[in-house]
Amino acid sequence: MYFSQYLRLIDVMARMALRADATKFFLGYIWWVLEPLLFVAVFYFVFSVILGSREPDFIIFLMVGKLTYVWFAKSVTQASTSIVSSKGLVGQIDVPKTLFPMAVIQEGLYKQASVFMLLFVVLLATGYPITATWWYLIPLMLVNYLMIVACGFVGACLVAMVRDFQPLITLGMIFLMFTSGIFWDIRELGDPHKTELLLAVNPLAFLLDAYRQILMHETPPDMPHLLTLGAGFGALVCLMVLAMRRYSQFLALKALTA
Amino acid sequence: MSVSKHRVMLSLDKVSLSYHTGRKTFDHGVHRVLDEVSMDLYEGETLGIMGRNGVGKTTMLRLMAGILAPTRGKVVIQPGKKAALLSLGLGFKPELSGRDNALLSAMLQGSSLEQATTFLDSIAEFSELGESFDAPVKNYSAGMRSRLGFTTALMTHVDILLVDEVLSVGDAHFRGKAQEAMKNRIMGGQTVVFVSHMADQVAKLCNRVIWLDQGKIVDQGDAVEVTDAYNASVAEERKIAAAKKLLR
Repeated sequence: MYFSQYLRLIDVMARMALRADATKFFLGYIWWVLEPLLFVAVFYFVFSVILGSREPDFIIFLMVGKLTYVWFAKSVTQASTSIVSSKGLVGQIDVPKTLFPMAVIQEGLYKQASVFMLLFVVLLATGYPITATWWYLIPLMLVNYLMIVACGFVGACLVAMVRDFQPLITLGMIFLMFTSGIFWDIRELGDPHKTELLLAVNPLAFLLDAYRQILMHETPPDMPHLLTLGAGFGALVCLMVLAMRRYSQFLALKALTA
Repeated sequence: MSVSKHRVMLSLDKVSLSYHTGRKTFDHGVHRVLDEVSMDLYEGETLGIMGRNGVGKTTMLRLMAGILAPTRGKVVIQPGKKAALLSLGLGFKPELSGRDNALLSAMLQGSSLEQATTFLDSIAEFSELGESFDAPVKNYSAGMRSRLGFTTALMTHVDILLVDEVLSVGDAHFRGKAQEAMKNRIMGGQTVVFVSHMADQVAKLCNRVIWLDQGKIVDQGDAVEVTDAYNASVAEERKIAAAKKLLR
């Protein structure tokens, strides 16, 4: 399969999945932005109304963190089961196994584009200016995307080989939700060493914080750290592509027989 | 037709396939699907693979198509040639129209978006779906689904066509049409491997037949002779089963 055809196929598969999804619900495409907004609303109710968070501009703070987290968590969770749930196709054609997670991730990317648009509109409406710092969003989003692809590939292989990884991945996402500073500020922990440690070991926490620094505080992210993450996840993606090509038939057997 | 003069397109050399079922049932949880199977497929021939359900027929096709790799042994295909399964209802998404599903199937089978788009009209025509072609597949009857599936699959152009129990689809009228289309392919020199548990169909379409049982080749050779032997063995088994029932 040529690379251009592979890209076309990912695009068509993603669009078809989106269209199929939209016809299932009465509100159709509106769910793309409604679902993440409802997530934010639930969190806002709990942490601002009930627990009384004192974070300034808590709703914006929460939106930036939560909407980025949902992109990551949903894409990776769905990518993880993508090979196994495409069993029917896997048993009938010899296609690159990366196709299945990539189609799911592409679907998430199209949805996220509209979510980011909405976020930017809210930011502008609430008085946050567009500044030159926003240019840093480009490398940031790129690294964010690479991280999703790398984790999605790893998850898809793990679940194809041993199904028991599926609940573990779901659990891992909940763990990340609590440890990445979505509804609390990683910079307000009171202990700078703890903040530094969390930012160093949890790439998602670093990325969420970087979005907030750019969008809310006009501060560029720690570029060496960002580039290191980009290189790391980029390398992991390459490695996974090679491994999934090498063990394509093995993955098919596992998906078909487990 | 004599096939011996033709080139070998694909061969299996002592091919075995087994996998761990995870549950320690028998053989320490190892399930053997194929056991040292060797065979040659010649250019332009129609080879039948026959046997009851669960003897490894579909697995053999999947090995030929490169979907699975053998645990031991080798699958050798002539360089530059490609084998593919004629797949019914490849990835049907019930919420989408027949048109969208056909497009996706054609692309998954290797067509470019442009090629797939040009196929759509002939798919609509051959499948006789009419206006339903643009309706969601979830509203289709089983017969309509299989008509769409067969027609889309028919568009695949490959060197070796692997067909898995496919001609038992749709109503009598469409079944006839499907068999006709398949015969045209065969007459046109297409190399075909045809899997079925229906001996009559195999005898009608194939030049040569392989009889598979419990992952091993029992017999191979002239289509009529092997299907007769197979039918006799099935009849024999039925008699034994009936006798056992009487004794109980």
